[in-house]
Amino acid sequence: MEKSVELMNVTKNFKMYEKTSDKLLDILLPGGYGEDFYALQNINLTAYEGDVIGVVGVNGAGKSTLSNIISGIIPPTSGSISINGQASLIAIASGLNNQLTGRENIELKCLMLGFSKKEIQNLEPEIIEFAEVGKFIDQPVKKYSSGMKSRLGFAISVTINPDILVIDEALSVGDQTFADKCLDKMNEFKEKGKTIFFISHSMKQVKNFCDKALWLEFGEVKQYGPIDEVLPEYKKFLKDYKAMSKKEKKEFKERVMEKQRGDYLQVN
Amino acid sequence: MKSVVTVIKEQWNSIYLIGRLSLYEVKAANNNNYLGMLWEVINPLIQISIYWFVFGFGIRQQEPVGSIPYLPWMLSGIILWFFINPAILEATKSIYKKIKMISKMSFPLSVIPSYVIVGKFYAHLVLAGIIFIALQFLGYPVSVYIIQIPYFIFATFVLLMAVALITSTLATIVRDVQMIVQAVMRMMLYLTPFLWSPDLLPEWIQRSMMANPFYYLVEGYRASLLGTSWYFIENLQYSFYFWSLTLFLLLVGSILHIKFRNHFVDYL
Repeated sequence: MEKSVELMNVTKNFKMYEKTSDKLLDILLPGGYGEDFYALQNINLTAYEGDVIGVVGVNGAGKSTLSNIISGIIPPTSGSISINGQASLIAIASGLNNQLTGRENIELKCLMLGFSKKEIQNLEPEIIEFAEVGKFIDQPVKKYSSGMKSRLGFAISVTINPDILVIDEALSVGDQTFADKCLDKMNEFKEKGKTIFFISHSMKQVKNFCDKALWLEFGEVKQYGPIDEVLPEYKKFLKDYKAMSKKEKKEFKERVMEKQRGDYLQVN
Repeated sequence: MKSVVTVIKEQWNSIYLIGRLSLYEVKAANNNNYLGMLWEVINPLIQISIYWFVFGFGIRQQEPVGSIPYLPWMLSGIILWFFINPAILEATKSIYKKIKMISKMSFPLSVIPSYVIVGKFYAHLVLAGIIFIALQFLGYPVSVYIIQIPYFIFATFVLLMAVALITSTLATIVRDVQMIVQAVMRMMLYLTPFLWSPDLLPEWIQRSMMANPFYYLVEGYRASLLGTSWYFIENLQYSFYFWSLTLFLLLVGSILHIKFRNHFVDYL
């Protein structure tokens, strides 16, 4: 099997500023300025063609940052990432222009993704059919319901036939029928041997759909492996976490903050 | 120098993209109004009439500028203002406003300011057409000098692109730049001979006002539309100054743009 995504020592660090002027200092001073926040630390990850990887972790573990890095929306601070093929991100906020109609948004989005005029003409009917927005396709997107918006976004992202699909919580909107349709489509991708990253808080969906799991904790890979090994461990952790007293939870969070400040990196 | 080549190559390779995106840009901006894109022309016409009332009728008492009556003198220059002003203001905002729409790293980001500028160019063409017809009836029929106009349009484009590359990059990093650009553009309306001619001022003040590259463009437009001179040949030294400055700005803009573009998202 061919490698499709490889992350080597990927770190993403955001700066936290107390005042807006700190940002200016950070740009001007050679050493930088401001408190570091490590959203991802030293991530090493290899995914092969045909892998369906469920990404799990509590809020703030770095799931969305990881999905943005894989789909190339934000660059990593350090480390290297190699992607074999085209990656496409499906998120709830799908970046549609509210003033334009659905049809215009389809063309706009495809243009931005680098498709030619002819390819777009071929893709358009397929996208419209998948989105199931009916007559609304010629209405401005601002008149869409949130379900319609996410369906259109989803339809565009899957129809362009990416090699790597990153799905960030996108299935949580929309009704069951549409979710099933999306799952069907994704199963189709799975059979074609594409790589899918599936980010979800729904353990059920992850379990049904993925064959590998990546557990992120404080921006690090806690565990990565077959779903049967990782999920039980994660579930156990969730249970323990829920059972913690308020004080323990606070301590846990403080530990997370400490770690993400990056002191730990320097010690290493 | 390498940055300039990269930027120019990106423009060249994305001509179709720039064309389509600029049309959507105009469309999205005017979708809410009943008169739609007509406003892009109506608005300037209203402003022109008030400028004529205040400056031509009120302050100058209809006294001609040199040998040219005030109205045609003003019309032939002010059309440029209604291109450069919105183009620079919008292009400055363009990157930080639109980068979210772009979901691929491979998208040539330097295209963003240029398609915003091209979007403003359509209205300029229509307005220029209207003023061109008006000039026929005001005693300034078309002459052979009009063939200079494509040259001056091209020069305007290059200058706008150079300025926009600088301001859009800086405004993405430090949002205050937007305010500075606004203030400078407001000054430009009076520091460039759009509404009044500095003919009567001391020589050295006129000289220093000519350091402003828009001065060159507006005088060029005027010479072509009113048919008074071969401006760029008769002022060869000034043409040389204009192009040196423009290319210098383009160089600075390209270097800045290329240096920061991978991290634009981090500054949002």
